[in-house]
Amino acid sequence: MSALGGKASGGEGINPTGTVVGIIILLVSIAATYALGFSIVPLIGIIIGGALIGFGVHFVPVGGAPAAMGQAPGIATGVAMLAAGAGLAGLFGGAWAYEATGDFIVAIAGGAVGGGLMMAITCLMVNATYVFAMGIPAASGKVAKDPITGDTFPEYKSQGTEGHGLPFVSFFGGVVGGFIAGLGGTIIYLELFDVYLANLPALMNGATTESIQPLAVSLAGIFAIGFFLVNAVLAAYNITGTIEGPHDPKFKRVPRAVIGCAVASAFCGLISMLIIYNTGM
Amino acid sequence: MTVKMEASAGKLSEKTLMIYGIVVALVGIYLTQINGFTGVAVFSFFGGIGAIAALWWGSDTIKHLCSYGLGTGVPSAGMVAFGAGAIAMIAGTKFNLIIPFVGISLVPIVTLILAALIGAVIGYIANNIINMNIPVMIFSLTKLSIVGALTMLGFGAMCTGTFSFNGLVTGGLSLQMEPAAQAAANGAQMFTVTVIPEFAGSLIGGATLAVIFFLGAMALQHPFNACLGPNEQQDRTLMLALEVGFLSMIVVAVMSYAFLDIVSATIGLIVALIGWIYTYKQYIALSKRDAYEWLDAKPIKEVGGDQ
Amino acid sequence: MEEIVLGIGITALAGALATVAGAAEDTESDIGSQGDPNSQVQLAPQMGYIHRIFNKAVSGEPPAYGAWCVIGAGVAWALMQINYNPALAIILGSVIAVFVQGIYCTSGYLGRIASLAKFQQPVYIDIIKSLTPVTMAHAFVAIFCTVAMCYLMASVLHHPFALPLLGLVWGIALGAAGSATGNPFYGKERQYQNQKFGAGVPISASGNIVRYAEAGQRSSLDNGWFTTKFAGPASGICFGLIVFLELWRTILFEELLNGWGAIIIGIILILVFTLIDRWVEKWGRRTYGPYTSEEASS
Repeated sequence: MSALGGKASGGEGINPTGTVVGIIILLVSIAATYALGFSIVPLIGIIIGGALIGFGVHFVPVGGAPAAMGQAPGIATGVAMLAAGAGLAGLFGGAWAYEATGDFIVAIAGGAVGGGLMMAITCLMVNATYVFAMGIPAASGKVAKDPITGDTFPEYKSQGTEGHGLPFVSFFGGVVGGFIAGLGGTIIYLELFDVYLANLPALMNGATTESIQPLAVSLAGIFAIGFFLVNAVLAAYNITGTIEGPHDPKFKRVPRAVIGCAVASAFCGLISMLIIYNTGM
Repeated sequence: MTVKMEASAGKLSEKTLMIYGIVVALVGIYLTQINGFTGVAVFSFFGGIGAIAALWWGSDTIKHLCSYGLGTGVPSAGMVAFGAGAIAMIAGTKFNLIIPFVGISLVPIVTLILAALIGAVIGYIANNIINMNIPVMIFSLTKLSIVGALTMLGFGAMCTGTFSFNGLVTGGLSLQMEPAAQAAANGAQMFTVTVIPEFAGSLIGGATLAVIFFLGAMALQHPFNACLGPNEQQDRTLMLALEVGFLSMIVVAVMSYAFLDIVSATIGLIVALIGWIYTYKQYIALSKRDAYEWLDAKPIKEVGGDQ
Repeated sequence: MEEIVLGIGITALAGALATVAGAAEDTESDIGSQGDPNSQVQLAPQMGYIHRIFNKAVSGEPPAYGAWCVIGAGVAWALMQINYNPALAIILGSVIAVFVQGIYCTSGYLGRIASLAKFQQPVYIDIIKSLTPVTMAHAFVAIFCTVAMCYLMASVLHHPFALPLLGLVWGIALGAAGSATGNPFYGKERQYQNQKFGAGVPISASGNIVRYAEAGQRSSLDNGWFTTKFAGPASGICFGLIVFLELWRTILFEELLNGWGAIIIGIILILVFTLIDRWVEKWGRRTYGPYTSEEASS
């Protein structure tokens, strides 16, 4: 019986070499997209969307297993999948709005609001459970005072715990996180959808724009989910599982995740553009 | 999280597993190409066998990666593997070029290379930009992306009988008839008939690929996630990987009725059922072997605690 | 006009289905002990507390329910492709998804418990026999309602996504809503019923879960009995509100101001929920007051 590895030693701060190499990968991806003869505008959109997802995940207050015992503040579930739940609910609204209005700005705003609404209802129900069913007031463990409302926490924190429930700043973080994640996911979906809708009919014999539409929707949808999971898990790795919201000291790590997600999105975006590359097959 | 992650060293080394995994997966996926040569789809189920081999290997890789304690659970590693694998797999199917003289398609090889590239980039980001500093990170995520891509390719080939992009996105052909100009002389109606490929009823167009995506992601993370603990045994974990692989294959076989003829789909279903029943029985036997005691309707046996 | 009336009816029906799905999902995950609270069930034997609670280690609820619902929706979609009646197809799809769910449950329990042999935790095989069918029944309700709701969205409301993609999106959202709302109630209120009410579980008490019932030994069925009183319905309301309001704002207000109507209504709803949340938080602080040293001393 042996544990095969040691502990991960994830440090704070930015690794300069890694970041420079990452930015080079990003630029090479953009250049390669250009060299293959595609427009780079959609890829830029995808990169922005991915960075937004990585940024948004950091706002979502997630406490993991300790939160389920009232030992730590936050929502008692996994960060990557909670963000995915909000982001995909946003994607649902955004895709629908795009179908109805055909307006890019309306669609991404609809996606963002869908994600924010999902998180607002979820966070409200979390607090209702803590307060009405368990008799536990909300208290943060990382800060003594709520930066928004000015509520003080130490006297509302029960002994032997790191806080519990969702203080208002965490609620606010959840809504903002859902909003940004929904925005990022919808941008990625719409960019891919437009690219496929415009370019696939020429590649498929006898296809019209109308008949290709369901295919473009599904392709872009599956890719958007793939992008979302990659970016959300990278962001979750960055915060090592749990975070209380924008007031948590871990929030300072956010630049790493934004760079990382942008690089990952750039490279994955390049690969997903290969679909419209005419390989003659 | 207070659950400690521990991993057994095991009899089969990671390298052995990797070689078996890749070879069987590729051979399985390539065997579905016989469909194209013979014109019948009965060889589709080999894709499922290939996918199971990839999952079998991947469940061991995930064990090595997660024994480092990532801060998030085992499942997230499965999700990132399939998120990256899905992108590589769909892009890879575009390269359906038949290699001259050998007669085999480039798709599985290109998929494998693309998946390795994406996995390496994501691993590098996690390790060096996000600063996780886990020695096996880059190589593990590379391998997991390959597992994700090959699993999806294998199950996709099993479901539809082909792994070319055109095959995966075309559900069927529908005929559209439009009245053309009336022939003046005898008044007979003329029609122009256009053949329109129907995309909504295909594996990708109908988003059925999303089912394979999540079937695979669950099957990849489940074996180690379910068996972790101080008495984790490699043979039991790997048997569970085969079991969930065949279980996923049952679902894929049921869905393949929409794309394949009844005989081919039924063959896939029977193979999956036989494999699943055998591996499930084996897994229960191995659990019985490793369990401290195997009790039926017996009370709690106190060993300490507060009683 | 008629279209809007139909849309409102479908919205209400989808919201009702989502409420049932949310309630069933949370009850299922509590009976099976899935997700984050299960870490304590896993931990208990290591602390010397042998128990008879289901230890269902099948990832967190969002990915698990994403998987079950996408399987249900995907199989239903495939059967509809070969001209099955939609109602029959959805039922058969849910049956196959539940079959997969049940097998995952049993293998999760066997795997985790067998790996705890070092701490002398026996495998109680009757737990699998008696509880797996119960979790499967609840899971069937949750999956069937979600897939039926997705079918309504795809076929009547004409959402562009194909049925399996809708199943995936709403399955993940279902798991996220159910685990967020239901987990603390199961994890703190039920597993640690021996701890003080109105306070979090002290970290030093971790692993000391309640293992005996009023009479005899606690089984996971008792946990379901307890959590259906609050966590199940609360999860149902949570998921029901999410689905209902998301559809409602789109159906009624999409036409206004070139699509901006739905967005403005969404923002107003977010603000309303923010105000309610602030009221709930203040109510808790005012009613319970700070912890006093006497209370906190034991």
